[in-house]
Amino acid sequence: MNQRNRDLIPSFSRPASRVMIRRAARYEEDLLALIYESLCEFHLPVKDKTILLKPNLVGLDPQGVMNTHPSVIAATRESLLKLGAARVMIGDGPAMDRDTQAILESVRLKEFTGKLGKDFCDLNIDDVERVPLETRATRLKELFLPKTALGVDFLVSMPKLKTHHWAGVTLSLKNMFGIVPGSCYGWPKNVLHWAGIDRSILDINAAARPDFAIVDGILGMEGNGPIQGSPKAAGVLLFGDDPVAVDSTACRVMGLLPERVDYLVRAGTMLGHVEASKIQQLGERVDSVRTTFAVLPEFSRLLA
Amino acid sequence: MNAFEMPDQLQVTKPLSILRNDCLSLLESLQNVDGGWGFHAGEHSRVEPTDWALRALSHSAGIVDGKNLSSATGFLRSRQLPDGSWPACAEMSAGSWITSLTCSVLAADSESAKNVAAGLKWLCDDFPRDTSPWRRFLRRIRNESHLAKQNDSYRGWGWTPKTSSWVEPTAFALMALHDALAGQLSGNASQRRELAVALLYDRMCPGGGWNCGNPNVYGVDGEALVLPTCWALLALREAQEKPGRALSLAWLQKEFANIESAASLAVARMTLENYGIEWQASSDTVAPPAKRDLQDWSAQELAEQGTHVLAWASMSLNPARPWPAVAAKA
Repeated sequence: MNQRNRDLIPSFSRPASRVMIRRAARYEEDLLALIYESLCEFHLPVKDKTILLKPNLVGLDPQGVMNTHPSVIAATRESLLKLGAARVMIGDGPAMDRDTQAILESVRLKEFTGKLGKDFCDLNIDDVERVPLETRATRLKELFLPKTALGVDFLVSMPKLKTHHWAGVTLSLKNMFGIVPGSCYGWPKNVLHWAGIDRSILDINAAARPDFAIVDGILGMEGNGPIQGSPKAAGVLLFGDDPVAVDSTACRVMGLLPERVDYLVRAGTMLGHVEASKIQQLGERVDSVRTTFAVLPEFSRLLA
Repeated sequence: MNAFEMPDQLQVTKPLSILRNDCLSLLESLQNVDGGWGFHAGEHSRVEPTDWALRALSHSAGIVDGKNLSSATGFLRSRQLPDGSWPACAEMSAGSWITSLTCSVLAADSESAKNVAAGLKWLCDDFPRDTSPWRRFLRRIRNESHLAKQNDSYRGWGWTPKTSSWVEPTAFALMALHDALAGQLSGNASQRRELAVALLYDRMCPGGGWNCGNPNVYGVDGEALVLPTCWALLALREAQEKPGRALSLAWLQKEFANIESAASLAVARMTLENYGIEWQASSDTVAPPAKRDLQDWSAQELAEQGTHVLAWASMSLNPARPWPAVAAKA
């Protein structure tokens, strides 16, 4: 990760963030062309760099409803290699099931990416490094995080567009829960729940903030997400250089108010922008792609 | 022979014995100079992979040398914290569920008897916070029963201290209590065991089997997973028979055909064999056959998935293993 992303910068002194929305109705479309073209717009500093794609691989998902779709992961990897990246790894630490290989088999990742070998990292069992938590949003003073996630030059969070039964929504910031290693904290990573999900999201993202975010919203999930919700086609992909801005825009696409998502409000104070006025919108307008997602009654306050 | 009957003598075919020998040899070669194993080749030694490697190599005389196993037990003892627990990695200052696994693995090692006793004491004193009387009171007045249907009077163990009970750490703790020698257990061990067994049955998925411990959230039934189901079934092997155990065993038998990963395949095979049920990956007399067989992976590919997976596969291919033992014909 670059140094800029390790710094905590108040929102008022940050430049505007850039978020792009692209329409993509189906996974069978030419996603490589679409994603490559979109990434070119951002002039990302990826040449000769080692990159980690952090998709959301949460469970066995043969129907492609709960995990980031492998075609999006593969097209992103291919695009970044085309942009000159030296190495593009894929890694995640599934939260509910320690059999990561079973999840990979269920989504047929290899059929899309080819054999990955050591370019796939099970973050649950990677070597770990102690990271002091500077934000201290939770009572946790430190976290032990995977060396691979901490050591790459460029980290891309690739969530699925989903509602979440504890946090309201799960997008690129919440997706970073997946870098917390199960081998240290278990399956699920319950210590984070006890520390407070909203506050943990802030601590984790301040410790290992993604440099870029790509949200798979072609087919999302509404209601009782992140596992047991209902499929919801939104037909979009979102790209951005500020995960807070990307998540805020994703909320607006879902017909939800990011200003009412607790962890986004917190993240907006030091990690990125929530306000639409501070986000340079590229591609489609939010209004033109908005698809209202159902939420559990506990989160009805989020509905716009 | 019935589809899931046990043969009189479990035999390992030649190709499987070659894979087993490859796995054990590779496992032995991955030991670090400090006596432990990392999750992958060249990584720092950690307690959990060392536990599994030690367990796999302990009863493989004649296949591998085994001369460095005492350095492995020494490594485990050296990582014990002053309070008797074992941490998940070297720099962590708090114990974890790995204490249970380590107590089980070291149970038979006479040099480690004091370490095991201290670990078991820590285990019996470690209560999850979610089911404390105060938390139960709070949950009752907040009327949160619709979030997750579970009986909060049962108490198991969490992955980390002072959190919530989950299926897998509870299962490993039960196995540690079971493996303990006479005199090693503290006074409340029997009560802890009873509460934990009750918790496992309470957290079972409606159709049998277990996931991490959420059988129903917001009114939606959870789906069982292979590994938690196997650990729970192994933990309940000596417990009183209840319909839930048979239902879960039936779930595992059925699910066996759908397994596509080496880790789940290896552990499911051992679990079924422990209950005297034969899995048959390729026999045309057995339905349904598994989609995959352990021979689909090389020892190296198994090691890339983690030392624990390599160890599970090695154990699964070793009918002489003492844990989980292959049961006599059902």
